[in-house]
Amino acid sequence: MAINKHKNILDYTLQSLLRRKFKNTGIILVFTFIIFAVSSIILLSYSLKKEAGMLLKYSPEIIVQKILAGRHELISTKIKNEIMGIPGVSKVEPRYWGYYYDSGVRANYTIIGIGVSGIENNRLIKGRMPSANEKNAAAIGREIADARIIKKDIGDSLNLQNSEGRWMEFKIVGIFESDSEILTADLIIISESAFKSLVGMPEDTATDLAVRVANETEIPTAARKIKELFPYSRPILRDEVIRTYDAVFGWRSGLILAMFAGALAAFIILAWDKATGLSAEEKQEIGILKAIGWETSDILEMKFWEGLVISLTSFMCGLILAYLHIFLLDGFLFAPALKGWSVIYPHFNLAPFIDFYQIAILMAITVLPYIASTIIPSWKASITDPDTVMRG
Amino acid sequence: MRKSTAFFIFITANLAVMAALYIHSLTAVSKHPVFKKEIKEIAEKLRLTDLVLSTDARYTRHPSQADLFSAFQDFPGSIEHFPTGSVIPPPDFSYMRTEIRIYGN
Amino acid sequence: MIKTENITKDFNKGMRDEVTAVKDVSIEINKGDFAVLKGPSGSGKTTLLSLIGCMSRPTSGRVLVENRDVSRLPERFMTKVRRNTFGFIFQQFHLIKGLTVSDNVMLPLYPTDITPSELRKRAEDILNTLGMSDRKKFQVQKLSGGEQQRTAIARALINNPAIILADEPTAHLDTHLSEEFLSIMRNLQQQGKTIVIATHDPLVYEKEYVNLYIEMRDGMVRGAGRKH
Repeated sequence: MAINKHKNILDYTLQSLLRRKFKNTGIILVFTFIIFAVSSIILLSYSLKKEAGMLLKYSPEIIVQKILAGRHELISTKIKNEIMGIPGVSKVEPRYWGYYYDSGVRANYTIIGIGVSGIENNRLIKGRMPSANEKNAAAIGREIADARIIKKDIGDSLNLQNSEGRWMEFKIVGIFESDSEILTADLIIISESAFKSLVGMPEDTATDLAVRVANETEIPTAARKIKELFPYSRPILRDEVIRTYDAVFGWRSGLILAMFAGALAAFIILAWDKATGLSAEEKQEIGILKAIGWETSDILEMKFWEGLVISLTSFMCGLILAYLHIFLLDGFLFAPALKGWSVIYPHFNLAPFIDFYQIAILMAITVLPYIASTIIPSWKASITDPDTVMRG
Repeated sequence: MRKSTAFFIFITANLAVMAALYIHSLTAVSKHPVFKKEIKEIAEKLRLTDLVLSTDARYTRHPSQADLFSAFQDFPGSIEHFPTGSVIPPPDFSYMRTEIRIYGN
Repeated sequence: MIKTENITKDFNKGMRDEVTAVKDVSIEINKGDFAVLKGPSGSGKTTLLSLIGCMSRPTSGRVLVENRDVSRLPERFMTKVRRNTFGFIFQQFHLIKGLTVSDNVMLPLYPTDITPSELRKRAEDILNTLGMSDRKKFQVQKLSGGEQQRTAIARALINNPAIILADEPTAHLDTHLSEEFLSIMRNLQQQGKTIVIATHDPLVYEKEYVNLYIEMRDGMVRGAGRKH
């Protein structure tokens, strides 16, 4: 094994790269940034997708909304029994929820009215949930508790304005712990009856209906039946909900475009420049090397190393930085984009799920083409007779 | 030191960092609250359908529950009003095969 | 040592701009010769030199290096012969800018299975004999013309070749530096190496130790003579 030969050629390659320090550092920086941005998105979206999949696995199989003139409308709870009659349906429960705009902190809360919650002694809740008939008790998300200048705690009161403009006072009996923030950051949970009087919801209506179907395979059939029975309804399947989260941070999303447009353009120009030909200087160098006794294969090996050194360095650094960014620094570069105009937003503590398949694909579509675009143009230069250098 | 040796050390160091991060991910995932039965109970009992990623627009707070036809909201090419709309794309309702029929004379 | 038999070299064969650079040349150079290929520019000296040095292949005819026909060898073997037998000194020096003197000198042996310490030692020894040891860490573009020439010589010598080929080596040097170059070549010849220089500089071919003249014109040998 001529291991020294290959190390010698690598030595020369590195020496040669160091000669154009600025250019090569520039390439590595841009390349690293692109890998960093793409893999940040891969890591973040995969992690969100996995979390959504794991958490929402327990949400209702079907949500039935009423659609009026294309918009979501309150649904009558009287159709409950008819839905119960559909084979496979094990339970139909009305959901009472909506939004509440708090002009004090200019934040939107999600407000939910519940009957008997059935949640007791849950370690992610400090205190307790309001019971079914309590008129003025509330459990709130950690971020709501922290949103005001004076932080709310259990025993404090929370004032909400009802649909008639009167203030209703709620006593905080529970606060969701921060470990549940991804689901609960902006929630206000009050009893069903309190919810109805707060928002002025007519009797026998609900925001939507949650339908439980015991057998997984019967879900689509049940949904179709509901749609047939109540043409104005829109059944939302749990699978669709989970699928929605697959699309978060989609490839065509504005965030990616914004982060990339510049870097990508620079990189494409660079790759184009490389792929379409060598500079006169590089050609001459190859000629000199051939003339003093390098073989075509030696030159191609040198070019292979050159591509590998740059692309592998960038790939590894970009990937490591992306991991640190998303999972240890809570995605601080992306967070503002998710935050948008939100006042209440959770502190991301994402579970670092890694999708090796996507990482491998990213490697295959960045490292390999880069190496190829380094080798291919020099291939032509390296197969010419070495004496061209004497006549140049 | 030979430059090639330095390069191999650099690559090995990178691999070591990546391995360390992988171990970190395994332990962090196993300890993550997402696996706790308490959070599953919250999701199930409160019948929650969405993650709190952003709270500035209805269709980014509850992407799965958003309206079907409202202007500036659902059509994939619509002009975005809320900044988060560029991150969380509108839901795909193509499976519903909604048709618009225009009848002429 | 080197023998050519009726070699012809055409460029752009079959095209409108076909040129015959070397036509039907048969010469013989022996071990220890100090040979000069002389003739005006465009006479085919450089082409003949590159044919002798296994840098290109003749269109027809044979090149024999130590009685072995090298003109039809596959590239790998041709490169091997070139690397083991010849040292080249080019008119423009052809050093690689940005690299130090010693890196340039070591260049030919990088793609061989030599250890770096051995390689460095060889380069240092050669630079020492050429009086360049204090310049070995300099980047080549910062050297004077004479120093660049000596770096190029050192590079030609790193593989300890039997034959040294030089193409117009004195074209860019003044008289003093040309003399210096020739005395280095003379020294090498006395050590048993074969020297072949293509030139049209009288300073070179009028030297008394040149023992073989090959005069070229229009790609053909017009006259050849041997002294001693």
